[in-house]
Amino acid sequence: MFTGSTRPTHRRVRDSAPLAVGDSLERRAAASSLLAGFGSSTLRAKLLVPPARAMGEGGELAAEKHVRYIVTVEKKKDSFESLVMEHIRLNGAYWGLTTLDLLHKLDAVDAGEVIQWIMSCYHPESGGFGGNVGHDPHVLYTLSAVQVLCLFDRLDVLDVDKVADYVSGLQNEDGSFSGDIWGEVDTRFSYIVICTLALLHRLHKINVQKAVDYIVSCKNLDGGFGAMPGGESHAGQIFCCVGALAITGSLHHIDRDLLGWWLCERQCKEGGLNGRPEKLADVCYSWWVLSSLIMIDRVHWIDKDKLAKFILNCQDKENGGISDRPDNAVDIYHTYFGVAGLSLMEYPRVKPMDPAYALPLDVVNRIFLRKGY
Amino acid sequence: MSHSKALLILCPDMLTAWNSRKMVLSVSYDFTKLKDELQLCTMILSYSPKNESTWSHRRWVIKKVSEHHQDMSGLIERESLLVKEIAEKSKMNYRAWRHRCWLISYMTREQVLDELKKSARWNELHVADNCCFHYRRSLLLALLDSRCIEGENSLDYKSEVHLLWKEELRWNEMLIRRYQGRESLWIHRRFLSQWWVKFLLSGEEMECCAAGISLVDLFLSQEIYLLSDCLNVPADEFGEACIQAELAALYILWISKQVPAVKPQLEERLHSLGSLEDVLARACPERSRLWTHLIA
Repeated sequence: MFTGSTRPTHRRVRDSAPLAVGDSLERRAAASSLLAGFGSSTLRAKLLVPPARAMGEGGELAAEKHVRYIVTVEKKKDSFESLVMEHIRLNGAYWGLTTLDLLHKLDAVDAGEVIQWIMSCYHPESGGFGGNVGHDPHVLYTLSAVQVLCLFDRLDVLDVDKVADYVSGLQNEDGSFSGDIWGEVDTRFSYIVICTLALLHRLHKINVQKAVDYIVSCKNLDGGFGAMPGGESHAGQIFCCVGALAITGSLHHIDRDLLGWWLCERQCKEGGLNGRPEKLADVCYSWWVLSSLIMIDRVHWIDKDKLAKFILNCQDKENGGISDRPDNAVDIYHTYFGVAGLSLMEYPRVKPMDPAYALPLDVVNRIFLRKGY
Repeated sequence: MSHSKALLILCPDMLTAWNSRKMVLSVSYDFTKLKDELQLCTMILSYSPKNESTWSHRRWVIKKVSEHHQDMSGLIERESLLVKEIAEKSKMNYRAWRHRCWLISYMTREQVLDELKKSARWNELHVADNCCFHYRRSLLLALLDSRCIEGENSLDYKSEVHLLWKEELRWNEMLIRRYQGRESLWIHRRFLSQWWVKFLLSGEEMECCAAGISLVDLFLSQEIYLLSDCLNVPADEFGEACIQAELAALYILWISKQVPAVKPQLEERLHSLGSLEDVLARACPERSRLWTHLIA
């Protein structure tokens, strides 16, 4: 879930110029902001005129349209969206399928087919998952694989200890985690490993105290957390640190008022949330900021109605899907975060979500109430 | 290597391609090849400035170089310059600035001071870019780091930092008055003041002042004066004066919460403007949920 937007945000441009090589590079560059993290690209790509959108008043959640949009994207493997997402298809699977489950429509896909595809991204030698078939393993995709299997209640297809050993083996001396064997450290990876191991009932495989200490060392003077010690506070990184501390029962390390203050200042005039000071509101922060606020019990400090209206305003009510902000093109990533944000605000007919595990509550309950294996 | 290069130029996200290059480069240390690698990254970053895999690969290369070279100062200086150039075209680029902050751990004290000096002008031209102010905060914190202020020069170092801090506060105020409603500037001031007030309270500052007024009092009066100016700016068509008032009020709340010892003095100084609650109610009614809980 941490690989960011799946496509460049762009206005609906009345420009019928064909794509040039430069354009596609620009688009890939935009798509590459995915692995850059949490925000969507600010590149504006020239595109063929997309179909007109039914925008305007947010009104209600067009659930059926979104379901249809997700199922279509999942099937169209040669579409533009699929192509730019190719290397992170596993993340896309998590975003799309979790959204379907939140809208009570997980049965719209063939579970067997999905699980087979997921397992084709598995590397039995290492125990990790790649972003797509044949891609190198990385924790980013391993968590998505585990989360999707949780949705289908099929963790039994995993060699649980092998996967657990892969992620736990990436802990460093100082308690931090690398994303893969090449060593890049980031607090996102701390969350990913902790979440993965907790879902697999294997948290004991890491040094939890050291992991917690490292995360706490990334706490900033403004109450927020960055990617590494001293890193700029960023809503996405904050979610990862707060989530990891929540899962390990270590929320007492957080100054809730101070962090709550930082998070609340993310709410912009129109009701949407941004990820850092001076940035534009973006639907994905409806999740990162909101779940963090819920975990530290400060969500009543923001205007939830305004936020809900903002999210609903970002829908494409004719073709389905949600975009980062009103009038932009939709993508799977923002569709997921928009619905997830509404779930956290108890929007009717959307399943409730667990803010720490980023999965529907009934899925998480099933995992923890059943005896572990 | 040439295949993965071609692939990465088209698709810098191909983690697998970057990994294959790391595998080849790991076989034996070759400085020329590593320099070429940095060039490849620079080229990709010129059109893909936010690409995480590229920045990450760059750090891997630099770490490899640092294992074989003692003097990294030239390399680090060029890296810092590269980020500056990329940041010019790609505003608020988290990945780029994160890289620049990461470089600080390789910098000498002189380099840190130099970076502070050199980057001030850039910041003045990009007052809405929170990343560049965060970078400055990281540099200032590095100067406060124990490895910088221990040893035989520690007193000199300490007084140098204090002078720098004072100048930073003055510079920040100048920018705040010039550019209305810029959140990054106020957030920078929150950081600066919090440390400054705590430092003044610790009694380390030896400068004399007018009898009967402590340095803390003087500082707080100046901040209230700034608040008052911000609350009285006439409204403008862009709503910036409004935002300025809101940010100023929240700034005062910040000091009162972060340094509780000065809360009574602040409230006394605020007297003519009303209570802190009054000020907040007038300046930021939309954030009432936030500050009513904080004041309580």
